[in-house]
Amino acid sequence: MAKILIPTPLRQYTGKQDSVTLPGSTVGEVLTALTTQHADLRKQIYTDEGKLRSFVNVYVNDEDIRYLSKDATPVKENDTISIVPSIAGGSTVAAPPEQNMLSKDEILRYSRHLIIPEVGMEGQQKLKAAKVLLVGAGGLGAPLGLYLAAAGVGRLGIVDFDVVDFTNLQRQVIHHTQDVGRKKLDSAAEKMLAINPHVQIVRHEVALSSDNALDILKDYDIIIDGTDNFPTRYLVNDACVLLGKPNVYGSIFRFEGQATVFAYEGGPCYRCLYPEPPPPGLVPSCAEGGVLGILPGTIGLIQATEAVKLILGIGEPLVGRLLLYDALGMRFRELKLRKNPECPVCGENRTITKLIDYHQFCGVPNPQKPAPAQETKVDEGEIDPVEVKAKMDRGDNFVLIDVREPHEYQICNIPTAKLIPLGEVPRRLNELDKNADIVIHCKSGVRSARACGILKQAGFQHVRNMRGGILAWSDTVDRSVPKY
Amino acid sequence: MIRIEPEAWEAMVSHARQTYPNECCGAMLGSIDDSQKSVQVALRLQNAYEGAQAARYELRPQDLLAADKAAREHNMDLVGIYHSHPDCDAYFSKTDLQNSCPWYSFVVLSIQKGEFHHANSWLPNADQTDAAKEELTY
Repeated sequence: MAKILIPTPLRQYTGKQDSVTLPGSTVGEVLTALTTQHADLRKQIYTDEGKLRSFVNVYVNDEDIRYLSKDATPVKENDTISIVPSIAGGSTVAAPPEQNMLSKDEILRYSRHLIIPEVGMEGQQKLKAAKVLLVGAGGLGAPLGLYLAAAGVGRLGIVDFDVVDFTNLQRQVIHHTQDVGRKKLDSAAEKMLAINPHVQIVRHEVALSSDNALDILKDYDIIIDGTDNFPTRYLVNDACVLLGKPNVYGSIFRFEGQATVFAYEGGPCYRCLYPEPPPPGLVPSCAEGGVLGILPGTIGLIQATEAVKLILGIGEPLVGRLLLYDALGMRFRELKLRKNPECPVCGENRTITKLIDYHQFCGVPNPQKPAPAQETKVDEGEIDPVEVKAKMDRGDNFVLIDVREPHEYQICNIPTAKLIPLGEVPRRLNELDKNADIVIHCKSGVRSARACGILKQAGFQHVRNMRGGILAWSDTVDRSVPKY
Repeated sequence: MIRIEPEAWEAMVSHARQTYPNECCGAMLGSIDDSQKSVQVALRLQNAYEGAQAARYELRPQDLLAADKAAREHNMDLVGIYHSHPDCDAYFSKTDLQNSCPWYSFVVLSIQKGEFHHANSWLPNADQTDAAKEELTY
């Protein structure tokens, strides 16, 4: 038995009574009695599926039954049950209207958005009011920049300090052949404004670092990570978590890509997925491992789609799900991501409360802060390409080994070099003389340094690494050798 | 139709102006006679939205419960809810609709540059998919 207070508008269903006393030992029983007695009331409170409508809260005295035992909450003789709607709302257009109002030109431009009910005028104004930061104007940044500008995202920031290089053109479609040598920021901003002069482009010509990240990111609503290195990825993640901003993540390698939205409304972050970076050198970058030129288009546009959905507040965001794309199989798969309660940056007992040194964390040197002592030091185990050429010209008796892969050898090679891919070195040591004078090269000097280590450990006496690899050879010895 | 009596109307407008550039919200108490609603008292309630309140508001159910109790004590009815749209028209936005309840009148006051501009009253449906405009006088 309990008394139910009837809200004014519902009294028309209870014969104008403002309260009804009904039998039952739990809230559920009393409510059932109520809606049995006053059948018309039922559809006001319950859905057709028999669930309480989303806006209906039920209180026993001063307590919400959701925090008691829900329907099974016991009621006593003198208890009062109240039916209270939950109410909220808002104009949802945050900035003043003059600023977000669309001009006649803009209305025409965005016409195909405006006629979608889910976007409409309200949505297009949200896009105009939105501030999105692109970290990187490379492979992922290119489609992101072009499409987000076209879609009318009002303010687009870009962080990049690189210049356009010939090797970028195969995939970074925002940069054209005549842009080689220009700042990527200028090249990208020019194309974006050519597509849509109504958007504002903010250029951040810096390497994102622990010193500047929070200051740059704080002025944006959404951060899109288009970087290809681990220190920046952890930096962007941590800064987003600390600032409470969504991190729209994408990564690409050869024929495969990944995308998800991190740090959005209590969802998992990058560290929940990868608490620790991989050992340095284990996961090759695009420069080292290559990438299908179209792949960043696919992944970048998934990121762009997620950003636009977040701005409009429509659809199901890619939160708590890691989307995996396999271009060769042409398949998408999805992995469930969970928030890690032990996560050092977004978990319950946080140990990371400010930005750290991400190069140290990832075990890689910081290209922005090269240690001068190390740079000038001449490594005894190294040899300059010019010296190698001199040895050849003198007719010195030595062995030159190329530890690159066969498909790289096909691109360019030094004709006298013997090809032994790095992975085959350990089992092909017997092909080499332990006392011979050996020089090893690869593309840029990293793999050959590893090969030198293997040989030295196996007891080879005279092993040297050709500094800068075949790229340096092309620069300083033979300019006809193509670079890749 | 809904009529807001002068005293209640003044209280609502001054609440909305004082809260500008944020949204305000409150309860409207009065009487309902068939479809004729009359608002005598505007009760200020706290905007409980956690985050920027320039474009959002949220009512705590316990505040609404208290408003309903106050109405009963004064022999009045809880007739509706009011809130403001700073620098924005008095339409019933998607956010308003998705967090509405079909039992009450929802009066929206448009405040432009800090001053009252216009107002509308809305009657959302039970599925939160649409809201009908209700005739409003004040």
